[in-house]
Amino acid sequence: MHADLEALCGQLEAIVGQEHVAAGVARTAPFAVDGVLPELVVRPGTQEEVSRVVAACAKVGAAMIPWGGGTAMGMGNAPQRAQVVIQLERLDRLVEWDPANLCVTAEAGMRLTALQEILARDRAILPLDPPAGHRVTLGGLVAANQNGPGRLLYGTVRDWLLGLRVVLPDGERIHCGGRVIKNVSGYDMNKLFIRSMGTLGIVTEATFKLLPMPRERAAVIGLFPDLARAWAVAQEVRASFLLPEALDLLNPEAVSLLAPTLGLSAGAGTCALAVALAGSPETVERQARDFTALFETGGGTARSLPIGQAGPAWNTIRNLLDGATAANPARILCKLTTPIALTGDLVAAACRAGQAGGLRTTVVAHAGSGVIWAQFLPGMEGEREAPVAKALEGLRQEAEAAGGGLTLHDAPPPLKRQVDAWGAPGDGLDMMRRLKAEFDPRGLCNPGRFVGGI
Amino acid sequence: MTEKTFVEDLRQIVGAANVLDGAVDLQLYQYDGFLVERRPDAVVFVRTTEEVSRVVQTCNKHGRPFVPRGGGTNLTGGTIPFSGGVVIEMIRMNQILEVDCASLWARVQPGLFNLELGNALAPMGYQFLPDPASQKAATLGGNIAENAGGPHCFKYGVTTNHILGLTVVLPDGKVVVLGGTAPDPSGYDLTGLFVGSEGTLGICTELVAKIVRLPEGVKTMLAIYDSIEDGSKTVSAIVAAGMVPATLEMMDQLVIQAVEASIHCGLPLDCATVLLIEVDGLKDDLASQCKAIEDLCLAHGAREVRVAKDDAERNMLWAGRRGAFGAVARLAPSFLVCDGTVPRTALPEAVRKVAEVALKYDLRIPNVFHAGDGNLHPLILFDWRDADQKARVVKAGMEILALCASLGGTISGEHGVGLEKMEAMRLVMSEADIQTQRRVKQTFDPGNLANPGKMFPAAEEVSCAR
Repeated sequence: MHADLEALCGQLEAIVGQEHVAAGVARTAPFAVDGVLPELVVRPGTQEEVSRVVAACAKVGAAMIPWGGGTAMGMGNAPQRAQVVIQLERLDRLVEWDPANLCVTAEAGMRLTALQEILARDRAILPLDPPAGHRVTLGGLVAANQNGPGRLLYGTVRDWLLGLRVVLPDGERIHCGGRVIKNVSGYDMNKLFIRSMGTLGIVTEATFKLLPMPRERAAVIGLFPDLARAWAVAQEVRASFLLPEALDLLNPEAVSLLAPTLGLSAGAGTCALAVALAGSPETVERQARDFTALFETGGGTARSLPIGQAGPAWNTIRNLLDGATAANPARILCKLTTPIALTGDLVAAACRAGQAGGLRTTVVAHAGSGVIWAQFLPGMEGEREAPVAKALEGLRQEAEAAGGGLTLHDAPPPLKRQVDAWGAPGDGLDMMRRLKAEFDPRGLCNPGRFVGGI
Repeated sequence: MTEKTFVEDLRQIVGAANVLDGAVDLQLYQYDGFLVERRPDAVVFVRTTEEVSRVVQTCNKHGRPFVPRGGGTNLTGGTIPFSGGVVIEMIRMNQILEVDCASLWARVQPGLFNLELGNALAPMGYQFLPDPASQKAATLGGNIAENAGGPHCFKYGVTTNHILGLTVVLPDGKVVVLGGTAPDPSGYDLTGLFVGSEGTLGICTELVAKIVRLPEGVKTMLAIYDSIEDGSKTVSAIVAAGMVPATLEMMDQLVIQAVEASIHCGLPLDCATVLLIEVDGLKDDLASQCKAIEDLCLAHGAREVRVAKDDAERNMLWAGRRGAFGAVARLAPSFLVCDGTVPRTALPEAVRKVAEVALKYDLRIPNVFHAGDGNLHPLILFDWRDADQKARVVKAGMEILALCASLGGTISGEHGVGLEKMEAMRLVMSEADIQTQRRVKQTFDPGNLANPGKMFPAAEEVSCAR
């Protein structure tokens, strides 16, 4: 270890206690990011400690990697360097829970599921449902803009986040927003930190607005003989008055993975549309009926799941592409975005790209939101990177031509050296770099992982 | 560089007929809905992004500030050229460029009035959800600059929740396209940062608005109370019962009387407050929601609940609310609108304290609230010719903002900081918080030409001289 880092290690131990600083390959190896190994892992216990840790790292120019539940560590490019991982799981306190105003504040290391359990006691929900909610932390939810199928009805983090506490790259602590649902007092600084991947600072606390828990839930799953028919029905849903909570389109590989758990008997080539319904008993019942009819007239079969089975079924769908479930060092997870009406085309393109690269392709598309998750796994022979990279670049071109994009959320490091994790950053890149230079001039926070080398 | 060359350069860009620099013309652009006035050096009417970019470049060349202006409905001095310079009038950039119902977006120019977009989308069965009460006269560009709210934001959020992309002329004249027609673009959310930046980070020249299907059903009802406190408590009770109405709006007696005198929509003159409630969505449970809400209103002391039977009745109920600010002009020559926001359950206390402020400063302060989201609009009445009264108005306004902040709220829910609340920023932010925002401004606008002297408390004092 470099002398500076040895001194830093001593300082960090003084701030957080010796037991919360780890050094040595054996203890830091689990915190490697795309093969880049940090030298220290520090676990601050308070927001004040985060600030002091960051200040100490900044003083010696140590590169910092914030780490919550680790669910988004495959996102972005490999870091240029990584000296200190700042692990936030000890910041797991509930700060303020105000059921009457449907507003909650908690520290960044609290797990999403832990928060939901607290809220559920007072019949409230934070309507964000990324995979692996039991591991996702609130800080990671914000910094990586994590979301799930429910974004169709509820939107994403930017629609629910009211306030943040952030430690800036020099250790200064600031507060953005507040705890009221309309707030235009100054710039909307929350937006700057959502999906910034810790490159402008470390989120230490978040305040969210909430919804009352829906009284009733149900699910309907439609099986279709091909993608074209499933997608045609999805488009009819969008033109209707129906307000499903989620509408996911699953390709045949996804259907075959889900079939045993969901008790579906699906032949080869079967695609599915899964619908989640939430609301009053009247609207849920009516929508279950309407969706069943819609699926059947659209050339499919429909299976309706009542409240007790709908939740578990949707958990299975939501977690299908979770990294822990599909642990495979060779896996590639892409997020494709597109104007909503072109989702079907891009799902087909993703399946074709997988075929071209000789990859097993699992696609779960949030069909009403223009978001497609595609997982590619190498086949039996063990693929070389070159054809895979070519297939991904081709898919990216199609997505970008449609007005969307392709981002890598998990990929073997050699592939990331060939395919940029973010794609074309657009016109805003120059301003993004200027903001980064203003807030983190020495590039200490998550260097190189973000858009355009930020 | 002389004044003459500057204005001449502007004429070169947009044509002589589209630049105003005569004293009488300029006078029309020296005020908005706030108390401060300042005459611009010139007003430029623009029609294209390219023209805006060239005007901004010319301002850079001459070191002159610029302020974009839409409908001029701003309530906080946001459109006042406080440091002189050019007002860039966006009102002629008012075209709907493209609507894609299949992908749920509309590409629009910023000079279009909010209501005009609504009127264009409705026949197709779609809507743009943000609906500030001033929607007849407020432009979408202004909605973006202020991150405008409106009666429907309790359920549907504010402007920023409905903007997918922007074309922006940055303070140096460079044109950038941020976001677009697909969700979750890569990189920092500059679109989100820009919305609500009050013209201090650049000028929006085109926007991609998220549109949604019109709801299958809507029901509107009016609950009439003899006590404001009962009305406020009903609001919390409705939310506590697990319902999320599209709107929960309140008006107090003074406002009701003014509205009734000007619009004749059948509001009882002797009640303390009315609560306007709307539920929307799938039609199946609207009747049962209405019944449940009616029961809650009556249980919390409502003396009467009226449910609109048809669109005509519904429009009548809404006409009262939307016309409230205008109707209040009957009560006094001028008013200052406060825009403080408190947690919903603190509303009764906030209302009591506003009444105390009115007594203390010997002023009349009627009240309109977006009760669902805790956003109060105390309207401090005065006569602008009375200097002493005006001074009291400013103090009372500041005191109301302070009380909102002390109740856990904030100083502005939807009208913005502008010139009005720069000092009040300190009520809700630390110096470090404000400094961080100044660094954003500095990054975008190192020359400090885009609507300078707004938003942040600075060394120079804001005067209220008329």
